[in-house]
Amino acid sequence: MDYYLLGLILAFLIGDAKILAGYPIWWSLALGQQYTSLGSQPILCGSIPGLVPKQLRFCRNYIEIMPSVAEGVKLGIQECQHQFRGRRWNCTTIEDSLAIFGPVLDKATRESAFVHAIASAGVAFAVTRSCAEGTSTICGCDSHHKGPPGEGWKWGGCSEDADFGVLVSREFADARENRPDARSAMNRHNNEAGRTTILDHMHLKCKCHGLSGSCEVKTCWWAQPDFRAIGDYLKDKYDSASEMVVEKHRESRGWVETLRAKYALFKPPTERDLVYYENSPNFCDPNPETGSFGTRDRTCNVTSHGIDGCDLLCCGRGHNTRTEKRKEKCHCIFHWCCYVSCQECIRIYDVHTCK
Amino acid sequence: MAGAIIENMSTKKLCIVGGILLVFQVIAFLVGGLIAPSPTTAVSYLANKCVDVEKNHQKTKWYLSWGSNPCEKIRDFDEAVSRQIEANDIVFSIHAPHPHNEMSPWFQFMLYVLHVDIAFKMDNQIKNNAEITFNVSLGYRDDMVSEWQPMAYAEETRKLKCAFNYPKTKENEDSFYDCDVLSFMEIGTVAHKFYLVNIRLPVHEKKGINVGIGDIRDIRLVGIHQNGGFTKVWFAMKTVLTPSIFTIMVWYWRRITMMTRPPVLLEKVIFALGISMTFINIPVEWFSIGFEWTWMLLFGDIRQGIFYAMLLSFWIIFCGEHMMDQNERNRFSSYWKQVGPIAVGAFCLFVFDMCERGVQLKNPFYSIWTTDVGTELAMAFIIVAGICLCLYFLFLCFMVFQVFRNISGKQSSLPAMSKARRLHYEGLIFRFKFLMLITLACAAMTVIFFIVSQVTEGHWKWGGYTVELNSAFFTGIYGMWNLYVFALMFLYAPSHKNYGEDQSIGDLGISSGEELQLTTTITHVDGPTEVYKLARKEAQE
Repeated sequence: MDYYLLGLILAFLIGDAKILAGYPIWWSLALGQQYTSLGSQPILCGSIPGLVPKQLRFCRNYIEIMPSVAEGVKLGIQECQHQFRGRRWNCTTIEDSLAIFGPVLDKATRESAFVHAIASAGVAFAVTRSCAEGTSTICGCDSHHKGPPGEGWKWGGCSEDADFGVLVSREFADARENRPDARSAMNRHNNEAGRTTILDHMHLKCKCHGLSGSCEVKTCWWAQPDFRAIGDYLKDKYDSASEMVVEKHRESRGWVETLRAKYALFKPPTERDLVYYENSPNFCDPNPETGSFGTRDRTCNVTSHGIDGCDLLCCGRGHNTRTEKRKEKCHCIFHWCCYVSCQECIRIYDVHTCK
Repeated sequence: MAGAIIENMSTKKLCIVGGILLVFQVIAFLVGGLIAPSPTTAVSYLANKCVDVEKNHQKTKWYLSWGSNPCEKIRDFDEAVSRQIEANDIVFSIHAPHPHNEMSPWFQFMLYVLHVDIAFKMDNQIKNNAEITFNVSLGYRDDMVSEWQPMAYAEETRKLKCAFNYPKTKENEDSFYDCDVLSFMEIGTVAHKFYLVNIRLPVHEKKGINVGIGDIRDIRLVGIHQNGGFTKVWFAMKTVLTPSIFTIMVWYWRRITMMTRPPVLLEKVIFALGISMTFINIPVEWFSIGFEWTWMLLFGDIRQGIFYAMLLSFWIIFCGEHMMDQNERNRFSSYWKQVGPIAVGAFCLFVFDMCERGVQLKNPFYSIWTTDVGTELAMAFIIVAGICLCLYFLFLCFMVFQVFRNISGKQSSLPAMSKARRLHYEGLIFRFKFLMLITLACAAMTVIFFIVSQVTEGHWKWGGYTVELNSAFFTGIYGMWNLYVFALMFLYAPSHKNYGEDQSIGDLGISSGEELQLTTTITHVDGPTEVYKLARKEAQE
């Protein structure tokens, strides 16, 4: 009986590991029911799918920043969808699946690299934000300084800015990427690239407040940019991502896979560059295996010669055109928040969709 | 002023004094660099968006997003749109400091700047010359449970200075404008532990209030305060410096009153410089720990201003008194041309400071720079002060030039003079050159350290130690000018070994002077001559 149970657990663990290998299931926290209930209900760490033991421990210890972690992933996904809005693969998420991007991320492609980078950047960003909001009480220097609490703050202050957010992202998002295989190495690298981007994009702002407001005394702080700037930068990195090859080494703990730049001619990737080692599918036709949805019925831009143009987006299949009458809001008066008074106009659009 | 200590001192003793002062100078730098933390800290706050559910908008209600009675919070304004919450119902709430910390009187002052995150929308752009108006209330409490006590309330308007760095197209919607930070509030005391800021941005379409300010996403505050550790080091330094400068001041004045003749102008000015230094030094800030004195910032500015004005006047008068021409000055009124600009400049800065920090005593959210008239007025004061400063430096440079010209004139006729007369002039020349050297060194140090502290990152990591450059700059420069005044009063105090003017310039004085020299130790006999040789060599070069 005992052996049977043990076998069951083992089978479950092995099976689980095989399915989840490399796939950050916990990202599903940022979608659907899980996300909307974040504000109203306390988080149960055990109910978050796909956490490895280290992540579970982290979640239990720092339960109050878990909403920010989820928010960060959400932020990353939204930014991904914005950056890829006109492309064949448009960062589609699947609502009712644990693998929120479908099988796209199973392969070590550029797309995987981008999604990992933007998600880890999003976590760092959102945690930093929540620290500034004061909603998380564990941020700040007192938690890892010696001496009685509050003394460090009173003596020398603590303005950690983005460091804490980056720390959380590194501890939590990288917790599962500790296997010695190539995919883990790639995810670690790309996660770190996302976080480095956050740190690089902090900008210094200063205020002079000396004698009569002169610059005799000047205080500076690091301000976080808007996340769009991070997304733009990572998108550039996606376009110039470095292709790698997998190398196997024999080490004391067994076979270890590492990545090496494929083309020695090019500059080797820095810690800010995204890396991948498998080619992307072309995403033209639906393919459940690669996770491609195809571009059929996608709206394309007939005047564009870029990737969002009808030629490229529709993979040469051509496009349908139909005329649409749309009721639109126009001549609006906006308040800075929440209030818009508009007239209704009817406009006629030509809508082009891929065949 | 005849026969100052510096003239009668042997080179050896002068070097010893210089060495001791240098040691103190190094200590002053090290105290700031190694013991003190950085002078100030900036803490970023992101406002929580609370919903004012009561329709009548009570001013007295406080909104805090956490704690025992949290407000109803919204995550972003999309949520507000769907729930039909209006702009007037939204209260931005900022609690300072962050949870688990508390403010302390050692922080000395709180300065807050405001930053608005505004997203670009094609059909909701920021208008030209847009102004943002906010109703802000500030409250405090000293424990986590009691009611918030109101401290200040104001309706303030600030100009939005924003630029959009991307092309204004549909693709770039939701990117943020790059906006300048706005001054928000300044309080010269931190008497309470917790502060709460509630900001509303009321919209009034007919009056055009808060219309055309774009799509606001967030409000951020950055709070700047002095670090407690730095305050402690600073206070300690002041407490040590006060008695030492005071003692030398008393000693100096006693020496002057012991003389038979009344004190000359230069001696009085040096004494006045000592008084103004002591005035800065007296650590009245200790009281700020126990009392809620908001005027401390203003008072500090005034004290600094008096000292600077005094120092600048001293330089002019020192040059004038070493002119070595036939004009009899020795009266304050004969320097009106040079001291005039200092007085005017200092007065301008005083008026400006009263307009800014003076009014802030009444309304902490006030800033002179927020209105057009205020900006022009403030600029006018600062420009006049700047012109005065330039004028002053022109005068000073001209006077220094004159002194050097006279020195070279005198130097050629020195050998032909009687001994007493020669000694008198040699003394004057040496005194002037010595001070010139020291002053230039101090000024250069100040400028260099100022530039370094502006350019570099603020601290150096050096092995296991962190050297706080900015703190070292403040304590070092402060210590340096204290030592400067100290050295001035010590070295330029009248010597008891008179040989010059007091015995008249006649030949009689020589013998008595020589007698006096003979009664002192051997070193003094060759001491001055060595110094004079040095001075002469320098002059020849």
